[in-house]
Amino acid sequence: MMDKINWTQWIIIAVSLVAAPFIGALIAGLDRKVTARMQGRKGPPVIQPFYDIIKLFSKQPVALHKLQILYAFLHLVFMMLVVVFLAMGQDLLMILFAHAFSTICLVLGGMSVRSPYSRIGSLRKIMQMLAYEPILILIIVAIYLQTDSFLASSVMSMSKPMLCSMPLLFLAFLSAVAIKLNKSPFDVSTSHHAHQEIVKGITIEYAGPYLGIIEIAHFYETAILFFIIMMFWQTNLYIGFGLETLAFLAILILDNTFSRLTTTWMLKYMWSIPLFLSIANIIWLWSK
Amino acid sequence: MEIMSFNILLAVLIIAPVVFGVVAYLSPDKLRSMSIILCSVIVAAAGIMITIKPNNQFELPGSEMIATILEVAIVGIILYIAVTIRNWLILLMSLAQLGMIIAEIILAQTGHAVTHSYDFATDPLTKILILITSIVGPIIAVYAIGYMKSHQEHAPPTAASLGQFFFFFIAFLGFMNGLVMANNLKWFSFFWEATTLCSYMLIGQDGGESKKNAERALLINTFGGLAMVAGALWLAVENKTESFEGLLAAKAVIPMVLLCVAAFTKSALLPFQSWLLGAMIAPTPVSALLHSATMVKAGSYLVLRVTPGFHDSPKVMMVITIIGALTFAGAALLAVTQSNAKRVLAYSTISNLGLVVACAGIGTPLAYAAALAIICFHAISKGLLFLCVGRIEQKIGSRDIEDMGGILYRMPVTTSVALIGMMSMLLPPFGMLLSKWMAIEATIRSPLILVFIILGSALTVFFWSKWIGRIQTSSYHPKFNKESIDPAMGFSLITLALGVLLTGLGSMWIFNKFFAPITKQVFAGRTDISDVLWNVFNAAGDFAAVTLFVAVGIAFIAYWLLVWRRFKETDVRLPFLCGENAESTVYTTSAFHNSEGIRSYAFRSMGDKIENSWSSTTYLKNFICEKKATIWLNIIAWVIIIILLGEAHLL
Repeated sequence: MMDKINWTQWIIIAVSLVAAPFIGALIAGLDRKVTARMQGRKGPPVIQPFYDIIKLFSKQPVALHKLQILYAFLHLVFMMLVVVFLAMGQDLLMILFAHAFSTICLVLGGMSVRSPYSRIGSLRKIMQMLAYEPILILIIVAIYLQTDSFLASSVMSMSKPMLCSMPLLFLAFLSAVAIKLNKSPFDVSTSHHAHQEIVKGITIEYAGPYLGIIEIAHFYETAILFFIIMMFWQTNLYIGFGLETLAFLAILILDNTFSRLTTTWMLKYMWSIPLFLSIANIIWLWSK
Repeated sequence: MEIMSFNILLAVLIIAPVVFGVVAYLSPDKLRSMSIILCSVIVAAAGIMITIKPNNQFELPGSEMIATILEVAIVGIILYIAVTIRNWLILLMSLAQLGMIIAEIILAQTGHAVTHSYDFATDPLTKILILITSIVGPIIAVYAIGYMKSHQEHAPPTAASLGQFFFFFIAFLGFMNGLVMANNLKWFSFFWEATTLCSYMLIGQDGGESKKNAERALLINTFGGLAMVAGALWLAVENKTESFEGLLAAKAVIPMVLLCVAAFTKSALLPFQSWLLGAMIAPTPVSALLHSATMVKAGSYLVLRVTPGFHDSPKVMMVITIIGALTFAGAALLAVTQSNAKRVLAYSTISNLGLVVACAGIGTPLAYAAALAIICFHAISKGLLFLCVGRIEQKIGSRDIEDMGGILYRMPVTTSVALIGMMSMLLPPFGMLLSKWMAIEATIRSPLILVFIILGSALTVFFWSKWIGRIQTSSYHPKFNKESIDPAMGFSLITLALGVLLTGLGSMWIFNKFFAPITKQVFAGRTDISDVLWNVFNAAGDFAAVTLFVAVGIAFIAYWLLVWRRFKETDVRLPFLCGENAESTVYTTSAFHNSEGIRSYAFRSMGDKIENSWSSTTYLKNFICEKKATIWLNIIAWVIIIILLGEAHLL
């Protein structure tokens, strides 16, 4: 596989690796700005996440022990690998596994330290994975049923937008994105809001540059998620962009209208309504 | 005659373990260890040699009679056991078994001709199983030398002698080798019953309560034996053949289904899982042996042996797939609720065997290759994990996962090896994940099965990462504790860990070099496999696993350069406890000597009072109750088994 990569692909990989965190950071900045406006505040500048990262990296590196930091590195590298795989149009299930591995590294890092908050946050993160993972696999199944291939590149060969054949899956996916971005009511493992009862949860024991690494990984993840949303209208990227904006606003409204609910509620909700919608969508595609 | 001819290797693989078992039984302690090690070396060498040699067949003169005598003898022993433990159900089933064997003898005497085929043979599937049995098995046997030494010191007075233990332990390997090479069903039944007997004796090693669990294992496996003999009798009467070759050629659905039911009992699929969970009471090397190198692998082997070629009966295959998929998801669900380490491992085994059976039922090239891969990778990883848990249990005196916090510092070698084993069960780039990936891609055309597989995979990730998280929890220590390991146990742990690492690193290579050609051979000339399925199969082989290694490598190098070398003790901070930590220094070794120190976090609360807090891992206890869930799953599984028998027109 490696020998088949030509130089255009190398450039695509390099560009996406560099661009993805910037896009992710901008989305995060916009997120804070729009949220502030929704709450009647002025909000920080859109490029605030960049300032945050620079500040984090200028701090003294402190940690609880060495192993903890290894997991932060693995978390970032595998998130980058997901970007590489997407740019290469690799096998979708493998992309999902690389992504899951990245998340598990974060969980294991949180669990490796003797800290109750970190442990509770990590356990909740696994519950979050348990909640959204089936939906992501079912999306890949739906793509296979239409293209007879697991390759990400096969999405581009579809003549109709994915949204037309997978509308229910798209709705389910939005729930999954809300969980992934830790938006209310799903922000159980860690939260961007100050009202979280377990303080910061999974990332509480990371500080300084190590927290910076996790933040960058989060930017990558945000970029990946929004790229996938755009891919739901892969035939026309302008419409895809519009779709993305709508999804962004929808998630922010959700975030600001709901308060955090329990893990149990999240699991019950995800394994009932979105899972059901997804399976209905799959059966419809299958019987076609 | 050539010294290392096929026939001699075959004889060595089957007979040598039994002979050495007798030696181990008769000899004193010191000599016993020697004979076990010698036997291990010989069996491993013979196993490797026979796999290098081309496929071959072997016919024993007068084998018909020898096999029948042996079969009657072994059923006779089980009858005798049934009488001594007064279990009338086992007695009844053994009598029925004996009746069927006698019926077959009478049939043969009255001139009912049965096509005779060769008795033993090797083919790629056999070779894979031989490699597992004759390499992983002996490694566990060597571990057992060290383990049983300290086990015997604390063993209850009811325990059987070490000689008896090692006789059945070593002989088990020979019977397993015989089982996978047998082509004649008479021989196969003999070895099948022999492994049942061995497992009964090994599970009941410690006497007392373990006898009860051993009895359950015997009961369930005798039921399987009954189904097996019934299938063989049916095949002899209806299709006039008594070999696997004949079974596949005749496409005899009823015997196939009966053999599958027998396989389900041995593989402990739902609803037959209770014996394998009960078997956890045995000394840990026994669990390792049952779970990785022998016993349960016999079941999955049998399913893979008899199912190819039955694509004309899609309904039967579908039901087999459903049983497998239900077991995969159901056992994973039950594993989530467990905090007993050995039970988690047991449920995980059951779950993976379910996936193998599901793959066999799907019957596409990719599914078949995935099944082969799961059998192999699972054998090595699970063997290793049991050995680790056995050692951890001997050291900390508990098999509760919640008690395993802090062991990374106390026993770094064992814990690191255990971490490798656990990570190989679910993380890239190890083989189990690649197999699961293939299994998902293979089931894509049947949505119901796929949902089971997806939910099962998600639950698998859940219970493994909880456990991994617990055993690596520790405070900061400038240096790790030095760990003293018994040499026999150390050897086995390190060898198996290296095996897991190497097969994990080379998993894609192994797939393309071995599993893919074997699968192509099995499916050669099949016109019902569409091009799409072959494309998926070939695309899976194309995956560049090297990217995963590159990623892991980059992370490790960056970590080593930027953190490991520069990290100073002054960079260490205490965890945030929402108050003042009671531990004044960053790391306290004394905390590791009292059990509370490992489990809880001490902090200063109001009035300088020191409080201990403790947070447990989730076991979803408010969601699922193991007992109730088991009852429901068993009911569903029984219904599916009855549907299976109905589909085969047995009811």
